[in-house]
Amino acid sequence: MKIIKKTALAIIITGLLCNITFAQDEPKTSRKSEATIALSYYKKADMSRKSIATVKTKNKEGKFVPAINATVNFYVLNGNEQQLLKSASTDNKGKAEIEIQKVLPLGEDLSFTIVAKIEKENLYDDVEEQMHYKNANLSLNLNPHDTSRIATARVTEIDKDGKETPVKDVELKFYVKRLFGIMPAAEENTITTNENGEASFEFPKNVPGDTAGTISVAVRLEDNEQFGNLENSATTSWGTTLAIIKDPFPRALWGAHAPWGIIITLSLLFGGVWTTYFYIFLLIRNIKKEGDTLKQKTTT
Amino acid sequence: MSTEKYNIKQEIETLREDCLRPTRTFNRTTQMWVGFLLMVMGWGLYCYIHQLGHGLGVTAMRDYVSWGLYISTFVFFIGISHSGTLVSAILRITKQEWRRPITRSAELLTFVSLLFGGIQPIIDLGHPERIGNLVLFGRVQSPLMWDVISILTYFTGSTVFLFLPMIPDMALCRDRLTVVDTRFKRFKKWLYTKMALGWQGTKSQWHRLEKTMTIMTIVIIPVAVSVHTVVSYIFAMTLRPGWNSTVFGIYFVVGALYSGSAGVILGMAAFRKFYHLEKYLTPRHFDLIGRIVLALTLFYAYLNMNEYWIPAYKMATAEGHLLRDLFYGDYSKVFWTLQFGTVLLPIIVMSFPKGRKITPLVIICIIIVIGAWIKRYLIVVPTMLHPFLPIQDVTTQWSDYFPNYVEFSVEAACVAGIFLVITIFSKLFPMMAVWEVEEGIQINHDNATAIELRKEREAEDAKTIEGLPISGDQSIKQQV
Repeated sequence: MKIIKKTALAIIITGLLCNITFAQDEPKTSRKSEATIALSYYKKADMSRKSIATVKTKNKEGKFVPAINATVNFYVLNGNEQQLLKSASTDNKGKAEIEIQKVLPLGEDLSFTIVAKIEKENLYDDVEEQMHYKNANLSLNLNPHDTSRIATARVTEIDKDGKETPVKDVELKFYVKRLFGIMPAAEENTITTNENGEASFEFPKNVPGDTAGTISVAVRLEDNEQFGNLENSATTSWGTTLAIIKDPFPRALWGAHAPWGIIITLSLLFGGVWTTYFYIFLLIRNIKKEGDTLKQKTTT
Repeated sequence: MSTEKYNIKQEIETLREDCLRPTRTFNRTTQMWVGFLLMVMGWGLYCYIHQLGHGLGVTAMRDYVSWGLYISTFVFFIGISHSGTLVSAILRITKQEWRRPITRSAELLTFVSLLFGGIQPIIDLGHPERIGNLVLFGRVQSPLMWDVISILTYFTGSTVFLFLPMIPDMALCRDRLTVVDTRFKRFKKWLYTKMALGWQGTKSQWHRLEKTMTIMTIVIIPVAVSVHTVVSYIFAMTLRPGWNSTVFGIYFVVGALYSGSAGVILGMAAFRKFYHLEKYLTPRHFDLIGRIVLALTLFYAYLNMNEYWIPAYKMATAEGHLLRDLFYGDYSKVFWTLQFGTVLLPIIVMSFPKGRKITPLVIICIIIVIGAWIKRYLIVVPTMLHPFLPIQDVTTQWSDYFPNYVEFSVEAACVAGIFLVITIFSKLFPMMAVWEVEEGIQINHDNATAIELRKEREAEDAKTIEGLPISGDQSIKQQV
């Protein structure tokens, strides 16, 4: 009996000790998750500007995953003051996006500062990120009658008064827009701007266009430290004309009409079975016919 | 001899009474059972109407898993439908005498499971009213089109195959129903008369019936095999991990036969118990059909090994992800339980004569049937969750699937529908082909008489030989 009591006591004490140890090992769990923000800036051909905050958080395995439904407040720095521009919630990809107004207060170095913040959120800890960019323009000039097919892009910096100054030594990339995306116009599609802020790109002659040879050419300044992301595009008839074959696959598995082999095989197989069925129906009809005749005979 | 004739007559009369008795009663228990089934169907119908109104978004299916419980059930029901072909057609064509009491229930199971299996793809459609487009704009090259054609062909054939042996029985029911004092009885009389097709049992009617049944027996077997092969093509002709297999055709056919014949055993056991047919559905029938299930399980196990072992040896990238998930991932518990519980365990149990006795066999068949359903789920769902292009940038709910209450309710309604049709059928028509069993009794009797006559002749011959002179030529005796 004593042995049992002692064993039981030892188990209880060991259990309690383990419990205390585990309890001490447990980290203080916070209900909020840690989040990070990455900010980017885009200026399109129509002069619209937007800022995108990509918010990520860590999952249970410690891997970064998109932070969904986090409210991000976007501010612009005006002197030492932060003025709220807009707030946006992150989508399934953890992205919150806002349109930026055309005129923003500029700093001494002619750059504007945008601050993105997650603050007083239920799900995520407070975090902030900021970016400084200068206002710039990217123009694209295509001459459809130019047989040498030179695309000329120009980058200019805009000061407080709206005066444009050419920007040299920045890398521009030339692309062709396609139905589901954008692809480099050539294997080497990067051209650096000269002292006039211009970059000329000789467009290849073998890019397929539509039936009229129309293509959409795009030029981009990507992830530039001073100016962010700029893009411009224009359409021209520099592509090769697309000849549409009326019926490229007259009879194919992937075409509108099935190959004769399939039609004949299926018709023979199922036709054979259904013909047998009809013969069966005929025999059943004959059974009934005979029954009806017998019934008539017996009644008369 | 006259006593024997009387005995046969009596035996046939008892058989007729035993088979027709359930059609004369509709007791309280049956009423409650039908009421319960109607309730389940009503709830399922409500859920389906909810699904129609709000779209497939009310189910757990999303972009990646667009074939869930509905299509798994479709494959399962089509599989169960193979029972009628196997038990009835194959045993009929091989002239197995013991088939006689079980063919009707097997054919009925085929009919109902096809009826409810065939509607599963329509339930899976967000816009079922567009099913007509398949006829109007269907592509002959598509396995889906083949599926529709072959299922319709099989359904028509199975209905005829169920109906043909019922004609003489309908005439029996028609002639036996003499008192038609209620509206329901009048309806039954009318139904039997229509279905009997004026059957009088003349020689030429019997000749025609036997001819049609022989033709149908031959035709229905390849049609049944083609149906499940085409069902497998829906998967195998798609370039997806787990489905890109050349053994899928035969794998599906054998899997269907294996689960279908288990289904037949369950049906037999239920009718035996509830309609007191112990005299006709004997332990010997269960033992013999148990042997068939055992053979099919062994064949299925062999194909199972081919289906998983060959890709597992290669572990090609996309296929590897799926197999890892099945072997030791999220689905591993279910996968191994199925392999051991529904394949290995039935083989072990049914290998012994004691395991083919009614109770253990029924338990094993329940396991096989439920396992077959879950197996179809494992064929459909994990593959959909492992596409060649990895799932990314979607919410976590989209990258996982488990059926929700809507899907379970709709499927419960379909199962209830199957039970309801079987119950109503058994209350209207005899659950055994009476004339076929009668024929069996007659054959048994003829065989017994033939054996007796032969014994008598042998005894007479022996006496004649005994009477020959001993001093005579010994070669005469030897010749005799």
